[in-house]
Amino acid sequence: MMTTIAGRLSQAFLLLLVMSVIGFAGIHSVGNPVYNIVNIETATAEDIRNATIALGLDQPLWRQYLLFMGNVVTGNFGKSYIYHLPAFGLIMSKLPATFELATTAMLIAAPCGTLLGLLAGRRQGGMLDRAILKTSVFALSIPSFWLSMMLILVGAIAMGWFPPGGRGATLSLLGQEWSFLTLDGLRHLALPAMALAIPKVALIARLARAGTIEVESQDFIRFCRAKGLSPRRILFRHTLPNISIPIVTIVGMQFGGMLAFAVVVETIFAWPGVGKLLIDSIQLLDRPVVMATLTFVAVAFVALNALVDLLYAVLDPRVRRSA
Amino acid sequence: MKADTLRALWKYPRQYRLSLSALLLAAYVLVALAAPLVVPQNPYDPLQIQAWEASSPPGTMGGGGYIYLLGTDGLGRDIVSTIAYGLRLSLLVAMTSTAIAAFIGLVLGVSAAYFGKWVDAVIMRIVDLQLSLPTILVALIAIVTLGPGVDRIILAIVIVQWATYARLARGVALSETGKPYLDAARLLRLPTWRIIFRHLLPNSIAPAITLIPIELGHAVALEATLSFLGLGVPIDKPSLGSTVANGFQYLMTGQYWISLFPGLALFALIASINFVGEDVRRRLDPRSRSHDV
Amino acid sequence: MTYDIAQDQLLVVSNLTVKHRTATSATTILNDVSLNLQRGEVLGLIGESGAGKSTLGNAILGLLSADFERTSGTIRFEEMALDRIDKQQWASIRGRRIAAIFQDHTASLDPLMAIGRQLEEAILATNDKTLRHEARDIAVDLLVRVGIPDARERYHSYPHQFSGGQRQRIVIAIALAGAPDIIIADEPTSALDATVQKQILALLRELVEETGVSIILVTHDMGVISDVTDRVVVMRHGEVIEQGVTSTLLDRPQNAYTLELLAAVPRLRLSGADVKIRRASDTIGPAVQDSGAPSREVPILVAQGITKVFAVSGLGWLRNGTRKSALREVSVELARGAITGIVGESGSGKSTIGRIIAGLETANAGKLGIDGRQFEISCPGRRSGLLGEVQMIFQDPALSLNPRMSIGDTLSESIRFGSRHAHDPKRDVLSMIGRLRLARTLLARYPHQLSGGQKQRVCIARALLAGPRIIVADEPTSALDVSVQAEIVTLLKEIVTEQGISMLFISHDLALVQELCSSIYIFKDGRVEDAGPSRFIFGHSQNPYTRSLIDARPRRFTH
Repeated sequence: MMTTIAGRLSQAFLLLLVMSVIGFAGIHSVGNPVYNIVNIETATAEDIRNATIALGLDQPLWRQYLLFMGNVVTGNFGKSYIYHLPAFGLIMSKLPATFELATTAMLIAAPCGTLLGLLAGRRQGGMLDRAILKTSVFALSIPSFWLSMMLILVGAIAMGWFPPGGRGATLSLLGQEWSFLTLDGLRHLALPAMALAIPKVALIARLARAGTIEVESQDFIRFCRAKGLSPRRILFRHTLPNISIPIVTIVGMQFGGMLAFAVVVETIFAWPGVGKLLIDSIQLLDRPVVMATLTFVAVAFVALNALVDLLYAVLDPRVRRSA
Repeated sequence: MKADTLRALWKYPRQYRLSLSALLLAAYVLVALAAPLVVPQNPYDPLQIQAWEASSPPGTMGGGGYIYLLGTDGLGRDIVSTIAYGLRLSLLVAMTSTAIAAFIGLVLGVSAAYFGKWVDAVIMRIVDLQLSLPTILVALIAIVTLGPGVDRIILAIVIVQWATYARLARGVALSETGKPYLDAARLLRLPTWRIIFRHLLPNSIAPAITLIPIELGHAVALEATLSFLGLGVPIDKPSLGSTVANGFQYLMTGQYWISLFPGLALFALIASINFVGEDVRRRLDPRSRSHDV
Repeated sequence: MTYDIAQDQLLVVSNLTVKHRTATSATTILNDVSLNLQRGEVLGLIGESGAGKSTLGNAILGLLSADFERTSGTIRFEEMALDRIDKQQWASIRGRRIAAIFQDHTASLDPLMAIGRQLEEAILATNDKTLRHEARDIAVDLLVRVGIPDARERYHSYPHQFSGGQRQRIVIAIALAGAPDIIIADEPTSALDATVQKQILALLRELVEETGVSIILVTHDMGVISDVTDRVVVMRHGEVIEQGVTSTLLDRPQNAYTLELLAAVPRLRLSGADVKIRRASDTIGPAVQDSGAPSREVPILVAQGITKVFAVSGLGWLRNGTRKSALREVSVELARGAITGIVGESGSGKSTIGRIIAGLETANAGKLGIDGRQFEISCPGRRSGLLGEVQMIFQDPALSLNPRMSIGDTLSESIRFGSRHAHDPKRDVLSMIGRLRLARTLLARYPHQLSGGQKQRVCIARALLAGPRIIVADEPTSALDVSVQAEIVTLLKEIVTEQGISMLFISHDLALVQELCSSIYIFKDGRVEDAGPSRFIFGHSQNPYTRSLIDARPRRFTH
């Protein structure tokens, strides 16, 4: 079990390394960030050359890469071209906002989705099942940026219930600023969290439904009925644990996804998180921040997958044994 | 008898819904193909756009002699026309990339299953990593690496999607290779190409076909998202996604129609593709009825 | 007080008709079925697939899914009409009065819950007054009763930590939790090896004697019927064909179908004197004699010291390094123009040796020679040239044919790529399907349009058309109904005789092997445990494992 996880991790990091080469080469082949730093109107050729040297862009690409990797090993992703701050520190300062948003969304999505999926799957083909299934197709079809805009249109502009963007008032906890501790912060959190959660509810509901149908068709559920258990006990003590494994997987993956996919939602709601930082940096050709963000998200993802694997062991005795 | 009639009636709305989404999809394709003939304006042609008519609300009579049914956008382009032309681009990008991704994915997936060993290991490790990362991240990495342009967007979507086909095709092909009819084929010392193309591929392809409509929907959404983020199609040739994006800045000042209607069109397009896809899957594989995710 | 016979009738099913409805059609699954069950008896319900016996079991348990509909008839349990009671009343019956055991012991238990807990919740659900801590003691007692060793220690173990036989014992313990009047056992032993099957059936019989419970035993296996049931009901196509006291019915069946079923059961003969196996080499062997090949004493195939080790598949690429051997130094010889049998229970390595001989799998060590030519079996069959020398017939005919190729295409492919020269492939195909008693119209059809027996014939035709000298048949009849099994066995016997082919017949069924094979290898845990001429194995072998296999056979079908 542990060797398995170690194996997967080493495998994943090997691939991350390969990807970092491709990504690095790619990012450094697009545009020239110097033009975003110096004032193009007034800059002389001398200025541009000095800026290029200052950024280390005069070096051959392979050297730049080695330098980058050497720094990464020591936790140093370089300084942002734009903010002149360490790239990694910049990400860390944006992380609480993204984390808070993703967690809130998942706290809404996971229970709602599981419950809806269980209800739909138990009466396959029934009215409720068909309604849930159909609604889920719609929910999964809405492009998330448009959903966000429509939430703003209805929730903020037309009705005025919630603010259209920003993070609102925050309170400090554990050295970080958090929105969920203030009423104003919660109001700011509501719309973006909903925008993130709605497609996830649909996704989890469909998965839970498929799982429920599959598990309920198995002999041991029939056997549970034959041995005289009540339907409620079967549902919560047998069906639910058995569908929890795929659900934990998808929740884990989607949570990781939200850390990155919050890109769109964060941009629209002007939520100062990692995703917005990534998009801004891509547009401004702020290479160190782009590389640092992508690396961070990818590593977080791999770590999260490993965590999900560990959770399997807790949930499934068949995996536990091989530990 | 009476019960049967009732049952038939009960089934009617379900078939009706299918035909509704299929019809809608067909209409979309038609509009996309015949865009220059059915809409009053070519939004990509600066000469046909009047800047002073920017942000006109729906129903405004335009200077060109036609009514702006859904209004105009911030540059004065007719929304109806922008939707039709954007649709063209969106469908073109999505269909091309889906076709390429399906082909590459199927061939690589089946090859991985048949040859096994290091071929399998290499292909599947890439697939695993890619599928464990969120699609938008892979797309962002790809687009950042590739740079902007319609062809680059197509390539980025192919890079994102081939892995899904590959994993599915490999899984199916792998369970097929365990079946005795393939053992029998090997016992006849059939040439490798014949085993793959006559025996393995025909039996592995059906589930992958059911994947195509679903992935087409994803491709439309992905292109729209990338364009929305300003990383997709060029600004002067907006797709549905970039049209919605252009409308975002006008949302706060109440000019909702610039983003509402193109977004609605996009939503309906993806939804109709998804419904048709779900139905295709249900018909091709009756078992999936209980397993659709 | 008058003595009423009906009082002893625990369960009475009268004129039950059940239909299965799909969106477009309704099929009759049970047609006018009547039977009764007395207190303390084991009632056998036998029939081939599609006879409706499992549906009947589910109907009695009230577990028919929504697409089944009872159109007429009644099910009466004591004074209750089971077809008319509501959900609440069912709750007081299921588990408490009527319990069930299903075929698949693996699927019957929740994989994520410790077996003790599963038993405990059954006890608590079926006994209103039992307290939690009492339930545990009762559960341990039940586990001990069904023969789980160290029940208290293994209370917190999960289903996957038990063997198949033990899991089925646990399922039986759960069925006993509510002290039911009736247990419906749906094929309770068909997923188990013969020796384990014997033990489980003995346990069921003991429980009937001890507790007075009645059992409805649903099965397709005449052996099971003859060993444990008091009375038997024969079903076919949803109708009751015949019923009566087991011994009477088996001795003097009244119905032609019952007779057919009984005749089809392979019988084991222990009196070695009158073994009348038609050995191909004894009667005719024109192919052998014409070829002027080395005398028939020289085996056509010699495999020596074959060892196969499987790396235990770890999840990642860092494996624990543990390896499991499937075959250890196995040596097998195949007599020319005759059928050689390999018998063993699941996991004995009998299929692996067949696949190695056919060149489908490699071995780690050992020698293989066919007709004096040596093959390098440690490299893939295609490279060593072994692939194609031997053809195979597989267990499941449904999976043995390419579903997207017509029968005609499948057969002509075999001629085109096989190792014999065909002057007129079309005529060869036609004469072959004529020989195997298949209709010509089948050539244009696809596998799913054929019955199981037809498909297996096509597989035999495909193997023969490739022109092999050796055929490996791996359990070619075990996926088929009993009556079809007999046809295929007869066919194989004829083919070997006519065509002078040598065959390796792999099976778990001793009687079948005795009927077909001139010599036999008995496999156990990847080794040859016992070997010799058929006559010796069944008549004189003193090997304890061989004896236990023979003893596990139903007595009625052993002479």
